[in-house]
Amino acid sequence: MKLSGTAVLGLLAPGLAAMAVLYVVPLGVYFVNSFHVFRDGRILPVWTFQTYLDYFTDPFSYKVIAESVRLSLVVTGLALAIGYPVAYALQTRVRATGTRALLALLLFSPLLVSVVVRTYGWLILLASQGLVNTALRAVGVIDEPLSLLFNTRGVVISLTHIMLPFAIFPIYSVMGRLDRDLKDAATDLGAGWWEAFRHVTLPLTMPGVVAGALICFTLALSAFVTPRLLGGGRVQVLPRMVYNNTVEINWPAGAVSGLVLLALSMAAVWALNAVLRRLPSV
Amino acid sequence: MTAPAVQVRSPVAVQEARAAAVRDAVLRTTLLLGVGFVLLPLAIVVVYSFSSVPYGVFPPPGLSLRWYGHLLGLPAFRAAFARSAVIALLATGLALGIGVLGALALVRGRFRGKELLRGFLLSPIVMPKIVLGVGWFIFFARLGLQGGILPLVLAHSIVVLPFVITIVAANLVGLDVALEEAAQDLGASTPTVLWRIVLPQIRAGVLTAGVLAFIVSFDQVESSIFLTRGENNTLPIEMFLYMEKWQDPTIAALSTLLIVFAAALVGVVLLAGRGADVRRLFPR
Repeated sequence: MKLSGTAVLGLLAPGLAAMAVLYVVPLGVYFVNSFHVFRDGRILPVWTFQTYLDYFTDPFSYKVIAESVRLSLVVTGLALAIGYPVAYALQTRVRATGTRALLALLLFSPLLVSVVVRTYGWLILLASQGLVNTALRAVGVIDEPLSLLFNTRGVVISLTHIMLPFAIFPIYSVMGRLDRDLKDAATDLGAGWWEAFRHVTLPLTMPGVVAGALICFTLALSAFVTPRLLGGGRVQVLPRMVYNNTVEINWPAGAVSGLVLLALSMAAVWALNAVLRRLPSV
Repeated sequence: MTAPAVQVRSPVAVQEARAAAVRDAVLRTTLLLGVGFVLLPLAIVVVYSFSSVPYGVFPPPGLSLRWYGHLLGLPAFRAAFARSAVIALLATGLALGIGVLGALALVRGRFRGKELLRGFLLSPIVMPKIVLGVGWFIFFARLGLQGGILPLVLAHSIVVLPFVITIVAANLVGLDVALEEAAQDLGASTPTVLWRIVLPQIRAGVLTAGVLAFIVSFDQVESSIFLTRGENNTLPIEMFLYMEKWQDPTIAALSTLLIVFAAALVGVVLLAGRGADVRRLFPR
């Protein structure tokens, strides 16, 4: 359909108005607080960089940033390491279309259930007398139950589970568009399975891996529910700082923490997009 | 008479065939383990909802329905479920109204700065939810709009808008423009073409977008936790707050009901779209 300029404007107007009022303004009002200070339980509406200065001279801030980035990197790495072979197996080892659609739906299904429910599932699984510890002891891997809750381990396991579908699907869909002839050509020219995989499949599916990394990393970085419920007091990450600051009515500090969180997300988006542009496209 | 066929194969070929068989087995096992890992926390929640004891021990020493009974005695969860459903429905409706129009402009319109605009409209996806949550908290507090469901509906509509635009736009791309142009040439106005020609063709896509938007809205915690104050708690927030205090299987019973609810929603989409759109979500 040919759309006139007025028609385009008319179609976009409701969306732009909603985004301006309900998105740009709230974020602006929030971030403006970073230029105020919090003193004696009150926010002073003075214009200053003091809150930034306080934040970036406090060693605890760097501890939280490091913890957030490390947690997100580990979770992203694990999700990709599990997700890649699963996507590969689903794409190459399941012939029947119906079976494949069903398995894809099952792999996708946790996303339909609240993050609170999934985190609760891990709370049960990782308890000292839970399934994981009971199974490990039955097999004889451990004698004493592992402490998996209220520390980083439980958060890593649960977040990896939450991110896994986001790692699998970009890889799976890029793999589906892969030209099978390329791999066959490599095999015909005498390459073994490993050489064909290493030199053809893997490089050509890297765009999917990078896209998956992008989603996993940014989502893990801004995860709040899982670190809060499974991390106890030990896993202090940026979203928890934003939450705590806001609860303490210290909006200026919360705004700076929030901006740091946003800056880290944007940096990851920018860096991984730069990688994506340099990869061969399928 | 089958013996010669076997003898023809060289030892190298036999070795390769064996390696391929091992690889197949390993990959199939990986796939099954992956599916198992993904489903495990949901399965355990269902098992625990029937546990006879309040503490986490595997296997549960006995079975009972007491947690479902306990759940029925907690009206806060029922009210929160209804509230979440109403919020999700309203937010989805709002986002569909805005998003279908926006997607149409993005797919069919030709104007400068289109990519920039697309990036802006999709940007709530990458914005950390807790940041949005605090932003809305301050914004609605300044407006004096606190409590009730209106702030939640408005906030959720922005959270789900990018999903609606992405899915509807993907569905619009595949349409035959000739149909719309024929209608226009025959004198139909733009709104008429939209309503009578375009919309009927993307019905399944709009439904998929709507169901996804509903689910995303229903699942909001970080973006909404500062907009709720007890009287207007949504279900995930009610659950989150309950879990901070107690960890008995009442949450498991409720979670089981939610899993059934999600499965029913998927069933609706599969039936309504006859699977076509779900298959589009999982391209081969």
